[in-house]
Amino acid sequence: MATTTRRWRSPRPGRREQPAPAAGRGGFLALRALALLLMAILVGQLVRLQLVEGERFRQMAASNALREIQVPVSRGLIYDRGGRPLVYNRASFDAAIVPAEVRPEQQQRLFQELGSIVGLSPLEIEARFREARARQSPYDPVVVKEGLTREQALALKEREPDLPGVRLLERTVRDYVGGPALAHVLGYTGPISAEELEALGGLGYHLHDWVGKAGVEATYETILRGTPGRVLLEVDAFGRPRRVVAQQPGQDGSSLLLTVDLDLQRRLYEALSAQVPPGEVAAAALMDVRTGEVLALVSLPSFDPNLFADPARRDQAAALLDAPGKPLLNHALGELYPPLDTFKPIVAAAALQEGLVRPDTVIRNLAGYMLVSNPLAPGAVPDIIFDPRPLGDMDLTRALAQGANTYFAQLAGGSPDGTLRGLGEGRLASYARAFGLGEATGIDLSGEAPGLVPDARWKERTLRDPWRPTDTYRFGLGQSYLSVTPMQVLVATAALANGGRLLRPHLVQEVRDPDGRVVAEAGGEGRASLPISPANLSAVRQAMARAVSEGVARAAAVRGLQVAGVTAAGEGGHAWFAGFAPADQPLVAVVVYMAHGSADRAATVASQVLDFIFNQSGIAQGLREGRR
Amino acid sequence: MIQERLARHFDPVLAAGAIALAGYGSLLIYSASLSSYPDGITGLGHPVVKQALLALLGIVLMVLLMMADYRAFGRVAPVLYGLGLLLLVAVLLVGDESLGSRRWLSVGPLQVQASELAKPFTILALARYMADRPLDMRRLRHFLTTLAMGLVPAVLVMLEPDMGTAIIFGSVWLVMALMGGARPYYVGLLVAVLVLSIPLVSAAALSDYQRERLALFFNPNLDPLGGGFNILQAEIGIGSGGLLGKGLFQGTQTQLDFLQTATTDYIFSVLGEELGLVGALLLLALYLVVIFRCLRAASLSYDLFGRLLATGIAVMLLVQVFVNVGVNVRLLPVTGIPLPLISQGGSSLLMTFMALGLVQSVLLRRRPFEP
Repeated sequence: MATTTRRWRSPRPGRREQPAPAAGRGGFLALRALALLLMAILVGQLVRLQLVEGERFRQMAASNALREIQVPVSRGLIYDRGGRPLVYNRASFDAAIVPAEVRPEQQQRLFQELGSIVGLSPLEIEARFREARARQSPYDPVVVKEGLTREQALALKEREPDLPGVRLLERTVRDYVGGPALAHVLGYTGPISAEELEALGGLGYHLHDWVGKAGVEATYETILRGTPGRVLLEVDAFGRPRRVVAQQPGQDGSSLLLTVDLDLQRRLYEALSAQVPPGEVAAAALMDVRTGEVLALVSLPSFDPNLFADPARRDQAAALLDAPGKPLLNHALGELYPPLDTFKPIVAAAALQEGLVRPDTVIRNLAGYMLVSNPLAPGAVPDIIFDPRPLGDMDLTRALAQGANTYFAQLAGGSPDGTLRGLGEGRLASYARAFGLGEATGIDLSGEAPGLVPDARWKERTLRDPWRPTDTYRFGLGQSYLSVTPMQVLVATAALANGGRLLRPHLVQEVRDPDGRVVAEAGGEGRASLPISPANLSAVRQAMARAVSEGVARAAAVRGLQVAGVTAAGEGGHAWFAGFAPADQPLVAVVVYMAHGSADRAATVASQVLDFIFNQSGIAQGLREGRR
Repeated sequence: MIQERLARHFDPVLAAGAIALAGYGSLLIYSASLSSYPDGITGLGHPVVKQALLALLGIVLMVLLMMADYRAFGRVAPVLYGLGLLLLVAVLLVGDESLGSRRWLSVGPLQVQASELAKPFTILALARYMADRPLDMRRLRHFLTTLAMGLVPAVLVMLEPDMGTAIIFGSVWLVMALMGGARPYYVGLLVAVLVLSIPLVSAAALSDYQRERLALFFNPNLDPLGGGFNILQAEIGIGSGGLLGKGLFQGTQTQLDFLQTATTDYIFSVLGEELGLVGALLLLALYLVVIFRCLRAASLSYDLFGRLLATGIAVMLLVQVFVNVGVNVRLLPVTGIPLPLISQGGSSLLMTFMALGLVQSVLLRRRPFEP
């Protein structure tokens, strides 16, 4: 026993005689307390993270691991009134990188491989990557190459699983059939802007979506788009999908059946283009006077809407923004011009309705000019109103047909001898407004200008200048601050033609869901009725018919068709034709505007398209039969 | 005789606690490696298999050391200490670098983490030095000597750089010096000087890598996809675990690879996410049991060397757990040290088992004479 004990003895037996070490029981107590304290600190933090803030972290973990992706649906198509497609869908592929899914050490290899697939140098990709990385969230894909070729897209699709963070984005691109002829009707699509994203945010739009930017593409954006499908994926830290958590099928966009006739639209585009030099501003439109259906609408200069979808031609598209003549602006409704003589039918209708004249009321000895002095400055040079030539005695009908400015100036401001009391600016303005001037027509296109109907109060308030007699005379001639869009003139002319109904012009007659069912239909709803008796309207129509048959608008005449209308030409080159046909049983109204043209050129365009409608195609026949 | 002592003094709670921790660790490693080994255990290459085999080896070594007389290690302590320093220097010269730090020495097919060996060697040396001078420890000379003994390996690991292990060396020395009889006045003075020099040190001595880690600790959003990624993802993982966790193998942060080094430095986040606060409390309770049993062994020993040795090991475990978990729960800046007995990695696992074997040996021989 002793040896064993000895063996286990301390090597220095004397040691155990030593007093207890300096820190004895107290030291161990303190150490135990320290261990408990440190553990308590950890537990405290755990309670804070897991219980107090647990909900927040649970959400962060969920948003880490869940990713919603959109399944694209096909955008609704657009057809002309005869059911001919005006746009086709085509798939386009972009190569993109999601920065959050790329580990820094893999970046170079990724740029290299992606570059070799899509035909870019790694440096170019890196530059694009860095530039986009600085301004957007790392979870949003950075598009490094747009519009991949089919081969590139296939190669990328194949390699996608081996290239974490790289995405092949599929997008629908529109091919517009009519090219520039239909540009302002159809519009075009483009990448969503920050403002649009905010406005449409509630509808599930995303950063890289394309939306309608103009034309019916923009107006009917939400209808055409449909509802993209959604797939909720669980993804790992590298963005690789692990499983589908939830799925919601999408719905293709609905299609639009337009009121526009493709052939007529092309004819109008050609006819108008032939009458104005390239790059000049002009606009023309045709409308069914019974329903407000717009049969054709052209604005010049035009552009090719297919430019915007082509990455190679993006520079050309950008150049359109400040090209001369503002091609992107729809001049038929986005810009204001003086209506000039196209306002005269309205003055005539107003004077008849107010009982100032009858159609056969004659004003004698129209000398070809008229002096209007300024009562505020009696000594100043008077304003002179000219007629085309000395016209002698004229009644209302002949005055309208022959373009007698002095006659209409007197209807507006009264005759110098006081025998004829004029309408005055107040009544002129209220009739102008009754015909829809000074307010948007409500057409289903964006960017419409409301225009301006002046009166004394407006002039004093806005220009700080009193209303003068000459302002009233000029008002009667469609000048002096009165400014309108061609579309407003068209609607006013149609109202004269259809017996007094002011219509809301529209381009879409039906919305059809992907199964072809009609889900919405445009009613031919009127906005208002003109405060003009049918007899007075009829008198004005006859006068307009005379203008074409034997007056100033003879250039609008069409063989075998009674056309009614007025032409206008004024300082600065503004030229108009506004009219309808047939004169006795109006079907179609037409307006032609040229910023630098002549009355005859404008009337010629109208003549050509009316000829096309009534003589060369079945369009008039179709309209009469209510066929589309 | 040894059987008699075994029966009388062997601490089954300490042994059971250690083995339970190793088992708990294997479970967590299994979960954390599911995304890399989705089919579970199919061969000997699976990390859990390696870890379990190493744990078995560790238990054998623990028993062998328990049987051996710990005082024998005291006698060769200076040699072991020198070997430890040699390893730390070697690792700086020829070590393998990983994640910006040189910590491993390749010995044939094995990778040895030098600091894991240096830790117990330094504890042995400190205990031996202090136990040899029970009364003289109050003298400044000896105090400074022990300080230097702790400081040299601390500085060497800091050069790797491995801030976490340096902190362990420092705290182990601090507690052992106090328990070994150094004047609290000196210790207090030294701590005061250290605290006051923190700004100076952080300006001059911290490497860019460490400064960056500190900046990221205070604001991981500086670089949410780079260096700050782990800090944020670990916090999200633990926080989202809640009270009961998302269930074993069900943690999205773990299974979808949002957590990096999930089997090693960040294994606590796996636990926090999948087993929640309850699972974390169980782990911390197991550690408390092990640490308290080590301190019990120390306090029961009549031998100053054994006392200091067991104390040093207890403190080593305590600080290691606190630093590792503290990093996981974002109480401390990132510093990669393993969670003892839990994290994947042979050096730490074997050395921890062996250290606990030494503690059992101290316990078995706590009295010079058995009645």
